[in-house]
Amino acid sequence: MTELTICGRGGQGGVTLAKLIATAAFQRGQYSQAFGVYAAERSGAPLAAYVRIDDREITNHNQVRQPDHVIVLDRTLVGPQVLAGLKPDGWIIVNTAESPDELSSIFSGWHVATVDATAIAVANKLGTRAVPIVNTTMLGAVARVLTFDWEQIVGALQSARFSEANLAAARTAYEAVRMALLPGVRAAAACAKSTAAPASLFDENVGAPPTIRTGAWATRRPHREQLTPPCVAACPAGNDVRSFVAELGKNNVDGALCILLETSPLPGVCGRVCPAPCMQRCNRNPFDESVQVRELERYAAEHGRRPAPTQPWRASRVAVVGSGPAGLSATYHLARLGHCVSLYESRDELGGLLRTGIPAYRLPRDVLDEEISHILRHGVKAHLGYQVDRATLLELSRRHDAVFVATGLQELRGLDLGPRADGFVMQGVDFLDRARGFDIAVRGERVVVIGGGNTAVDAARSALRLGAHPVRIFYRRTRAEMPAIGEEIDEALAEGVELQELVAPLALRPDNGEAVLTCARLALGEPDQTGRPRPIPLTSEDAQFDIRCDRVILAMGQGRDISLLPEGAEVRMNGALAGWAGAPLYFGGDFATNDGTVAAALGSGRRAAWHIHLALTGEDLFPPPLQPVASAEYVHWSQFDHSSAHHAPHAPPVQRRRSFVEVRQSLSDEPGHNVAAEEAARCLSCGVCNLCDQCIEHCPEGVLRRDGDCFRFDFDYCKGCGVCASQCPRGVIHMAEL
Amino acid sequence: MSRTVSSTGRVTPCEHLDVAEPPPAVVVQPSADELHIPTELILRPGNTNCAGCGMSLGLQLLKQALGDETPYMSIPACCGIVTAGAFPTSAYGAPVAASTFASAAAVACGISTVLRQNGDDHPVICWAGDGGTYDIGMATISAAAERNDDIIYICYDNEIYGNTGGQRSSATPQGVATSTTPRGKPERKKDIMRIMAAHGIPYAATLSVAHRDDFLRKVRTARSLTGFRFLLLLSPCPTGWKSEPDESVELVRRAVGCGLFPLFEVFDGMRYRINVRPGGATLEQYTSCQRRYTSAAIDAATIRAGIDEQWKWLDAQCRAFPA
Amino acid sequence: MPRTLLTGNHAAGRVLALAGEANRAARGCCGGAYPITPQTEIIEYLRGVNFTRGRIVPVESEHSAMAVCIGAALAGARAFTASSANGLSYMTENVFAAGYYRLPIVMIAVNRTLGPPWNIWVDQGDSLALRDAAWLQFYTEAHQDLVDTILLAFRVAEDARVLLPAMVALDGFVVSHTQMVVDLPTQEQVDAFLPPCRVPHALRADHPATVGGLTWPAETAHHRREIQEAMERVPAVLEEALDAFERCFGRRPSGALAETQTEDAETVLISCNTMSRTLRDVIRARREAGEKVGMINCKLFRPFPRQALLDSIGQATRVGVLDRNHSPGSGGVFWQEVAATFGGTAQRDGRVIQDYIVGLGGGDVTPAVLNEVVDDLRRRNHAAAPVWREVAL
Repeated sequence: MTELTICGRGGQGGVTLAKLIATAAFQRGQYSQAFGVYAAERSGAPLAAYVRIDDREITNHNQVRQPDHVIVLDRTLVGPQVLAGLKPDGWIIVNTAESPDELSSIFSGWHVATVDATAIAVANKLGTRAVPIVNTTMLGAVARVLTFDWEQIVGALQSARFSEANLAAARTAYEAVRMALLPGVRAAAACAKSTAAPASLFDENVGAPPTIRTGAWATRRPHREQLTPPCVAACPAGNDVRSFVAELGKNNVDGALCILLETSPLPGVCGRVCPAPCMQRCNRNPFDESVQVRELERYAAEHGRRPAPTQPWRASRVAVVGSGPAGLSATYHLARLGHCVSLYESRDELGGLLRTGIPAYRLPRDVLDEEISHILRHGVKAHLGYQVDRATLLELSRRHDAVFVATGLQELRGLDLGPRADGFVMQGVDFLDRARGFDIAVRGERVVVIGGGNTAVDAARSALRLGAHPVRIFYRRTRAEMPAIGEEIDEALAEGVELQELVAPLALRPDNGEAVLTCARLALGEPDQTGRPRPIPLTSEDAQFDIRCDRVILAMGQGRDISLLPEGAEVRMNGALAGWAGAPLYFGGDFATNDGTVAAALGSGRRAAWHIHLALTGEDLFPPPLQPVASAEYVHWSQFDHSSAHHAPHAPPVQRRRSFVEVRQSLSDEPGHNVAAEEAARCLSCGVCNLCDQCIEHCPEGVLRRDGDCFRFDFDYCKGCGVCASQCPRGVIHMAEL
Repeated sequence: MSRTVSSTGRVTPCEHLDVAEPPPAVVVQPSADELHIPTELILRPGNTNCAGCGMSLGLQLLKQALGDETPYMSIPACCGIVTAGAFPTSAYGAPVAASTFASAAAVACGISTVLRQNGDDHPVICWAGDGGTYDIGMATISAAAERNDDIIYICYDNEIYGNTGGQRSSATPQGVATSTTPRGKPERKKDIMRIMAAHGIPYAATLSVAHRDDFLRKVRTARSLTGFRFLLLLSPCPTGWKSEPDESVELVRRAVGCGLFPLFEVFDGMRYRINVRPGGATLEQYTSCQRRYTSAAIDAATIRAGIDEQWKWLDAQCRAFPA
Repeated sequence: MPRTLLTGNHAAGRVLALAGEANRAARGCCGGAYPITPQTEIIEYLRGVNFTRGRIVPVESEHSAMAVCIGAALAGARAFTASSANGLSYMTENVFAAGYYRLPIVMIAVNRTLGPPWNIWVDQGDSLALRDAAWLQFYTEAHQDLVDTILLAFRVAEDARVLLPAMVALDGFVVSHTQMVVDLPTQEQVDAFLPPCRVPHALRADHPATVGGLTWPAETAHHRREIQEAMERVPAVLEEALDAFERCFGRRPSGALAETQTEDAETVLISCNTMSRTLRDVIRARREAGEKVGMINCKLFRPFPRQALLDSIGQATRVGVLDRNHSPGSGGVFWQEVAATFGGTAQRDGRVIQDYIVGLGGGDVTPAVLNEVVDDLRRRNHAAAPVWREVAL
């Protein structure tokens, strides 16, 4: 007689496997017997099934206590208890991806066969993902180990009307099973559990909590892993976008502003002028509409209270050269880290391009002044009108422990329009600087702006406001490729600025006091290194045209003025600059990165502060690498309702084109409506737990608990159903196979 | 961050300027100390229900609705009693009478009668499956409803006899394959809500484990009333429905979303209120991830027509007798 | 004890009401009521009672009548109901449940023939079919015995050493619908005789337990064995109850068994219910004629009082058992028990134990019929197959 024990879990088909083995034996003319131990435990609970095979009639109806072989359907059931009663030469046939050798710590000295039946069953789509039905697959392995003819296996499966997929899975396992006699001393079996005296209905312990550790049924386990929200990953300034929005959602405006001020000294500025890559990457975009992060940042800056500034407490002295966003950011963070900071600016006002390059209708002066004042209140000494060249830089480095250089892009990209163009052509940056002081008159002029960036759009709109008409922007690609902020382009067009796409100026000649600008018509070609389509000149007859105008403003970008750099400095890949030998010099902002946004400059300044702080104190403030980004696939959309964004009102175009009043107003609360909080509440908190408790509320077992920020899964009882993961709206809980 | 060694040997840090640095991460990690277990659950860990069982979900939400109040429960000998596990332990953190299959409502009646005549206001809850409610217990529940016994009767409807391995019940939807309707059930699902409403009971409502606020509110509404209150819970059975355990809540959301399982309330058997209108899910999204819906007898058009009729009827009730 | 003229049903109803009311200082009383001939008047009467703390629930079936009793007892109340014939059959599942739950519910079983074919008259087959349901079973002679036994049944069933439900059977129509003089106890007397009902494993919000959960083989066997042990304690507890009864009411009803002239009897008949009353007259008359005959009325059927029967059978060599019931393929149910009692001891070889199936379907068992039975028995030297004696209404 051959006796087999099958250890499996409810739902895996252990009893059916017993019947199939018995059928195969019957088909080769033997007597056989197959049965299971039927209990009230359900899918996932450990269960046993038995087979007896003999050449004579079988009269034994007891459970098999001393099997010839043992079949284990689930890797989690592998342990010394499997060996209980097993005869010395018996096989242990295990469903596992491991080789027999890998089980030698448990089954040393025994005959072990292994096959990855779960993978085979899943590949053949047998059962569900949570409970793959492995019985027919294991039949293949058993057949091979116990030397059944393949025809008998086919016969057994066919007589029970199993599908081709089952047959295929069995065959795969038949061929894939690995068998070995493991070396070493034969491992011992675990003892059977002791039995307590039976209880009575009247005993006081009736109703005591269950002693079954249902965690043993689990094939998967949940774990919490916070991911990086796409907005956070996208923010060049390193703002913790999700967290500040979450505070606003809780109507904690001060808290929101504090979070912003951790990373950026200029939330009021960024809340107005940032192109908001966070909003572009917002997972709500394909669902309905991005969370209006920029408006919320502005709201926080306008309504939140700033904490009292700290004063320097370290002896270290740092010079910051340039008071644009990068310089201001480095200044602010260094000052907050306790260093004594001196800020050097060549002009007579602080702010750099923020002041000279961004028109007041986008960034009112008082907003900028207030945020700069807040920075200075951290014990910063500002030196205005301080021109820096190579010599003074060297001097500064002698008087300070570190010097941070963020002088931006001072070299303006020009355009050769011929020898007689000079009187009509000016740089956009200069135009904007003069326009802000009403230091230039363009009333009635026909203005052409060349370029597609923010400077071009700003210059065009400023010209319009100063009375120029018409104002045209010539751009060599199309609207879609313009680097300027899309909303700014929309606003400019609404105000009356004209956009001519696929046009490049070639030459300018004066004619009777006006300029005749000759332009080429272009078409889009193959993508260039930047990934944008390359503009290529048309060759048709009308490929060129003339246009008459009074002024041409160039806004074609800027380059860095490297005359400042110490001799011997070299420009490295990815924009990194080596310091000058011996001098504690650091470079950042557009000067180093040419990213061209306030946010990028802020991030650069902040990182510079960390570098300098590390060099001066040895303290490393660099955060660990980001977790993977919680892209839209992590969000469980069915738990969210569609909602449209709350937009801030705009001044009407008719009014805007006549003045420099701010175009966009802030999100304003309405009676009974905290609009900012409502908008902030639209945030999905992608990949970051916001303690919504959906996981806890929907845990069918009640084994997930939270105390404050502290979560605990009770894996003694967790069955691994995965509802917590599927109900986490934001992809914080993940399931892992055991 | 990289470091460059200059000619003097001094190390000067340099910028990698093209990578945005991360914000300070909000780290939420379990602390080492054991968490305090605040309250006794109605369904304790260690119960023998399958992973992802709709009944388990329902019992956890029931606890959340009742708070610290302990219900007296009458549970017939169905899945709900196997849940408890082996004597003398029990997975129920509430006093439970394990009644015979057809008797849950009558046993609850006896409990309720005695509690009330002793001035005890604890809720008495029948927790029974569709087998014990729609079928074998029909006479019992109907009688208890007609007597207006002071009971909250909650039917966890998994649309099969789950405990015996998934045979048809009168709650099984048309076309669904079960072990006793292998080619799909030819008959329609019994409309238990209309039957119960026809008794003129104070309150009847449907419950969804995917609509927690609605679930809790309805249990609390039921609790605030006296007399016979009937709550119908659509209860996924991953084993019987051949669905993934982790989809149990999502399946119910889809059942509600596609209109198959309307969330509504009936007051005094007459006045209707719809709580959630269909939207956000299609019938296919609901049926496609349950293998029980793969029989040839499934006809989406027929199901959809049934859904439309059901909603027409509900809307008409709401118009004629608004709550 | 006020003396009244009552039908058996009304007497039973009155005593159930008194017992229910007697628990008013504790958890009160409750039960389910569903009519079936011939017990209907009992539940009609109960539905009309205004309990201080109690309610009889009008249910839709006997199955639910017992379910309500189960719920009520699990909530700690004194619970009772009544049924007959097919009502008992329909109730069967919950009858077993009540026994296995160990709930001291009292049920009046007015014996009636199980149908079909339909027949409303007396036959003990309905309640005897429930002999394995873990209930005490009392078979009462007539009105006074009925009244006394119902009170004893409550007292014994609720005793902490027993905690099992009790069924009190009476003859349909012959007792249930027959008016007789009966001494009914007062409420004060019942209050004094019946301690407050206490169900130790009743449901408690502060001690959650699942009553009736799953058991494995060892627990199940242990549970049954505990029931057997509780059953074995019943005779002693019943004796104590009789003592208490005597103290309360000044008289002592009969106990598990009641012998009549068995001391030197060679021939003894065993019977129960009203047949015993007829038989007693027959036996006395034949004694007066010099025959050494006696009889034993067997009131307690579960637990079956084996030891008492062994003790009281004396020197009798011929034992006849009157069965108004029939277990197809075997014979009378009382006869099986009697035969098992003597066969089990194997100490009296040659004793004739003969079964007589009489009065099935409500046939009128007259003295003439019983005299024939005695004559037959006295002629026998060997036992034979059960003797059938069909009689008319």
